[in-house]
Amino acid sequence: MNNEVNIENVTVKYNSFKVLDNISFNLISPFFVVIMGPNGAGKTTLLKTLLGLVKPTQGNINIYGYNPERNISEIRKITGYVPQIVNINTYVPITVEEVVSMGYLSKTKPPRILSKRVKNKVKEVLEIVNLPGVENKMFTELSGGQRQRILIARALIKNPKLLLLDEPFSMLDFKIKCEITALLYKLFRELDIDILMVAHELSPCIPYQPQVIILNKKIYAIGKADEVLKTDILSQAYPGVTSLPGGIIIGEDHA
Amino acid sequence: MLEIIALIYLLALLSGILVGSISLPLVMSRNIMFSLTLLHSILGGAILGVFINTMYNLNIPIPLFATFTAIFFSILAAELVEKGFPEDTATAFSVAAATTITIVFSFYASSISSTALAEAWSYVMGASSLATLEDLTKIIVVLIITIPIVHLFWREFKYIAFDPEGAEALGLNVRFYRYLFYSIVAFVSAVLSSTVGVLVAHVILAAPGAFALKIYKKKPVILSYIISTLLMLTGYILARILNIPPSGGVGLTSTILILSMVILREHD
Repeated sequence: MNNEVNIENVTVKYNSFKVLDNISFNLISPFFVVIMGPNGAGKTTLLKTLLGLVKPTQGNINIYGYNPERNISEIRKITGYVPQIVNINTYVPITVEEVVSMGYLSKTKPPRILSKRVKNKVKEVLEIVNLPGVENKMFTELSGGQRQRILIARALIKNPKLLLLDEPFSMLDFKIKCEITALLYKLFRELDIDILMVAHELSPCIPYQPQVIILNKKIYAIGKADEVLKTDILSQAYPGVTSLPGGIIIGEDHA
Repeated sequence: MLEIIALIYLLALLSGILVGSISLPLVMSRNIMFSLTLLHSILGGAILGVFINTMYNLNIPIPLFATFTAIFFSILAAELVEKGFPEDTATAFSVAAATTITIVFSFYASSISSTALAEAWSYVMGASSLATLEDLTKIIVVLIITIPIVHLFWREFKYIAFDPEGAEALGLNVRFYRYLFYSIVAFVSAVLSSTVGVLVAHVILAAPGAFALKIYKKKPVILSYIISTLLMLTGYILARILNIPPSGGVGLTSTILILSMVILREHD
């Protein structure tokens, strides 16, 4: 296992429609990266391609020495995924313990039983995400920020090296977005977990100086926020970007 | 006489348990539209079975045709969803194909036998109020197969309904579990349809699970079993009082249950 995430000339097509067009980048661990781009830019597809859920039409992917197509079981061991919260079906009556434990139980064969050992692991990760004692609550009883923490805990229970998050800020107010970012930064600094997240809003992350990737099917820029958040770059990546005297508006949120 | 009555209520009780086992996961996965595919494909399969039996002078059980047709069209709908088609498009396609089978083979069956359509129609309305040992055996066999599978994979079914994308990323074989669940529902529906009728089987599949989730989310499994069993028993009792087929009684109690849910929703 090496310490690089390397994407080389990756193209992904859905039918004949190009979602990612010959993208390349290289991230050296430890990294704390935010992927930004307009809706339909291929951000979620990029995460799914890294996870091996979407096969690239062409190109090579290397995640710490493993290829998602050839080494899917290793990829699943070393990655944790936090999907968009809007895709969660809140109609399902499920407890926090059941949600988080699945991160661990997915490694076993059915029947997947909640043993004392698994329950203790759930308690441990709930403490890491600052939500001790909620394991018997229903997922739907929690607030938006707490639900996001639970999904992060589910990813953490596998002890991942790389955490991939798809819009962890959606439908949260700014204070909670900052709390979630602080938690992610804590995981990055204290547990050595590399962070790669998709976000529409960068401001909650600014204090932590993340690397930013500007994506809209192609990569438009990679660098620190002050290097990439420039009008000329953003106006290329975001069609219809609005220029104002005090700056520009590129914001859009999935809510 | 007493034995026949006992047999009828035993059948109602076991059918209730069977409905309870699949109702909740079906509702949780928000696949009510999927039961529309089932309804049409069971009917299509039954009519196809009537046609084949009449045409070739065979005696293959109609539920067998109905089960396989329902499984086929359910998996077809699921596969279309996996390929990226919206769920309503996939359902519409499967329903259209199943309905075509119903129409075409109804026509052919009626042209070769005068009783063929009546036989198929009994499948729509349900059997008469007499329960047979054969009905009871069918339900017991389906119960023995279904309940262990549903509960063995309960966590997976629930988890895939909750977060299919996350489940896939965790390494669960979402497609396998989805097809397994659809096949079980198709199997159960086809057998239930042969006793209570396609239309009522369609109604009672979702009602207990939806009501259980509505009134107490913390223990919906046991509640779904209790509601579906009560639904079937009261339906059969009502049918006896009103002197109508059991399917009519179960249909009435299901309607009352659905109306109660509407009233409860308005009070929320």
